[in-house]
Amino acid sequence: MAPEMSDVELAKSSKVLMVGAGGIGCELLKTLVLSGFEDIEMIDLDTIDVSNLNRQFLFRKRHVGMSKAKVARETVLKFRPDARIVAHHGNVKDSSFDVDFVRTFDVVLNGLDNLEARKHVNRLCLAAEVPLIESGTTGYLGQVTAHVRGRTACFECNPKPVPKSHPICTLRDTPDKPIHCVVYAADLLFPRLFSADPNAKSDLDEEDAVELSAFTRSPGESPESFAVRVYDYVFRTKIERLLAKEEMWADEKRKKPTPLPAFTELVPEGPTAAAHGTDGLNGDGNNSNNTMTSTACKALGLRDAHAAWTDADAARVFVSSFARIVARDESDGNHGTDKFDKDDALAVEFVAATAALRSANYGIERKSLFDAKGMAGNIVHAVATTNAIVGGLIVIEALKVLRQRKAGGDAGGVATPVPCAPCPYRYTFVKQHKSNSRLLEPMEPDPPNKSCVVCGAARVELVCDVESMTLGRLIDEVLKKKLGMNAPEVNAPETILYEQDDGLDDDEIEQYAKNCKSTLANLPAGGVRHNTALRVSDFTQKFEFDLIVTHRPGDEWDDEEDPDGYVLRGDSVSAESNENNAANGENNEENGAVAEDVDDCLIVDDEDEIKAATATAGTKRKRDDDDDDNDGGGRGDAKEIRIE
Amino acid sequence: MSGIARGRLAEERKVWRKDRPHGFVARPETVDGAVNLLRWECSIPGRKDTLWAGGFYPLTMEFSEDYPSKPPKCKFPQGFFHPNIYPSGTVCLSILNEDEGWRPSITVKQILMGIQDLLDSPNPASPAQSEAYMLFTNDRADYDRKVKEQSLRYPAL
Repeated sequence: MAPEMSDVELAKSSKVLMVGAGGIGCELLKTLVLSGFEDIEMIDLDTIDVSNLNRQFLFRKRHVGMSKAKVARETVLKFRPDARIVAHHGNVKDSSFDVDFVRTFDVVLNGLDNLEARKHVNRLCLAAEVPLIESGTTGYLGQVTAHVRGRTACFECNPKPVPKSHPICTLRDTPDKPIHCVVYAADLLFPRLFSADPNAKSDLDEEDAVELSAFTRSPGESPESFAVRVYDYVFRTKIERLLAKEEMWADEKRKKPTPLPAFTELVPEGPTAAAHGTDGLNGDGNNSNNTMTSTACKALGLRDAHAAWTDADAARVFVSSFARIVARDESDGNHGTDKFDKDDALAVEFVAATAALRSANYGIERKSLFDAKGMAGNIVHAVATTNAIVGGLIVIEALKVLRQRKAGGDAGGVATPVPCAPCPYRYTFVKQHKSNSRLLEPMEPDPPNKSCVVCGAARVELVCDVESMTLGRLIDEVLKKKLGMNAPEVNAPETILYEQDDGLDDDEIEQYAKNCKSTLANLPAGGVRHNTALRVSDFTQKFEFDLIVTHRPGDEWDDEEDPDGYVLRGDSVSAESNENNAANGENNEENGAVAEDVDDCLIVDDEDEIKAATATAGTKRKRDDDDDDNDGGGRGDAKEIRIE
Repeated sequence: MSGIARGRLAEERKVWRKDRPHGFVARPETVDGAVNLLRWECSIPGRKDTLWAGGFYPLTMEFSEDYPSKPPKCKFPQGFFHPNIYPSGTVCLSILNEDEGWRPSITVKQILMGIQDLLDSPNPASPAQSEAYMLFTNDRADYDRKVKEQSLRYPAL
């Protein structure tokens, strides 16, 4: 055996993909190149924002607006000119970053900020059989986890907590927490007032024409008069009407709201003065040439973003920010600021003021502008040091994964169970307060969850020409005949392509019959193409797997080699010896779905062979002669798809 | 690749076909041959011997990718007359509320039966529209007349 490689040699000889070049990404890229990694590609769709500069240290003020991935690359090349860094300014979900792309890397390192992209990368890595190191930070907390197919749980083996949404009844009529007031302001009232589409139905649900007009600016009405009218309606009239619904408040546990005083009572100086503050505008509210550019807080002298406003100040900010948004939309000519945007200072002021006034209605603790902004924008305040620690932990886990991979231990993380030595990988948690005098808490990784919908199912690859293979042929020849399925159901990512069931409606039966005649490429919902993952299941056999389609155009097929015009292969399809199965091709029921005698189906059972087969696709298939069960083109072996 | 939501909905469909309560309809929407599992078109019959009998009330169920962690949004047509239905048609019901009765184990069938139940037993403690609420609490005869009228507007297909 070759002597064990040093970490630096290991790093030098590996190719890594980084997804995300933000807070964690900057730290990670720096640590990677300083640890000896030289072959790095990274993807980030984002551009640099001023608010990134405090912690994303590869970026400077002059870079604002430029691609994060590209600037990160340039900055690092200045101190590591030899590194081969490829920067992609794009979305990891783009089709160019497909399974084949991911397969060219030894490990994938995630520094992402959203669940959707994390799930996507997890699935790409599972399909490509490339280990994934996943990470995340929130303030002082962070974690790094290793996901190696067949060895540890995948990112989706354990359900993720779903961010809570708030029921519309609570938001609308019976809020009891500060967040209810903030969400009401940002998601209901803001779009209702400022959306470009005046007829857009919001869940604010105006009940009649009177109510509808309450949220619509009358012709010739000044921005601040409109704002005051809405104030009186939302914080007084609506609350009074709600109180009139007596049975609603029969339950004493439900606290009754209190209407606020009329605007003119609460704010003695009146709407125009309140709206303009010290802006020094001409004071003529009807003049739409007013350009109220600064923020309400500046104009009103409310400097402390962490202080909770009095009712009067909140009402002033409400009217002032409201009038400024209306004036801005008018001068932009775009008549709309459709959605609440946490980076829009006026929108943040409006939301904070609305939330504060609504909190006053319902006797709920009121939040400062700073807190309301964080709640409305789901902002997690990032800590640079946590990102740096997490970046370092990612590199440590990556080196462990790479060492195993080079040693062939986790041959690409293939399902072949690796007996063995204790798992070298760790989940590591970065904690805010030390326990057992530690700030870092390592944990043994979870094993794969056998019922995980993402990695639990077997995977089979079907190579065929999607322009000529029909769904009917796929079902009859591949699923029923070769894989022994009884009543297969075929699901594409966005639609159901085929199912058999007694209870189907006539039009469903008709549609499925139509689908069967269609080529894969022409099926509904965009068709089945290269790299489409189909979920195939058979309820009667309690059997399910993913069928990944690989397109190979018709002219690349050799009729002699593959008279069927398609090839089935996959890590979970294990070949059994010719002799054992020749005799019992028909009585393998207990194994679930078992293929019948298959002559021209190429079965590959380890990763090297998949690579070999892929490399020679279209020319000549190759089998290793020392493969213990057979040779000569995978002839005559029955296949078993292992099912749990 | 299909996630947890779609897997569960595919299963809900199978179970529904085997165990469909009389008079109810529930099916994913189909557009150009593509089945949208996340949006179901349903019909709820008014229970017999109630004012709602004879009507078959159309309802859409909108599921998110977070289903079944989160409940579907259920909507009647805009302006549907019922104290607990918002003017937009959104149904306000405890089992559809994450903070109250929703549990991931609740089936499509249970939701539809629950809404059928709600039709004839409105909850005055949770009004969602003024018109039906006011009539229900103040002028029951007029309320009954409106319900009956509405049932005639949704005959069997």
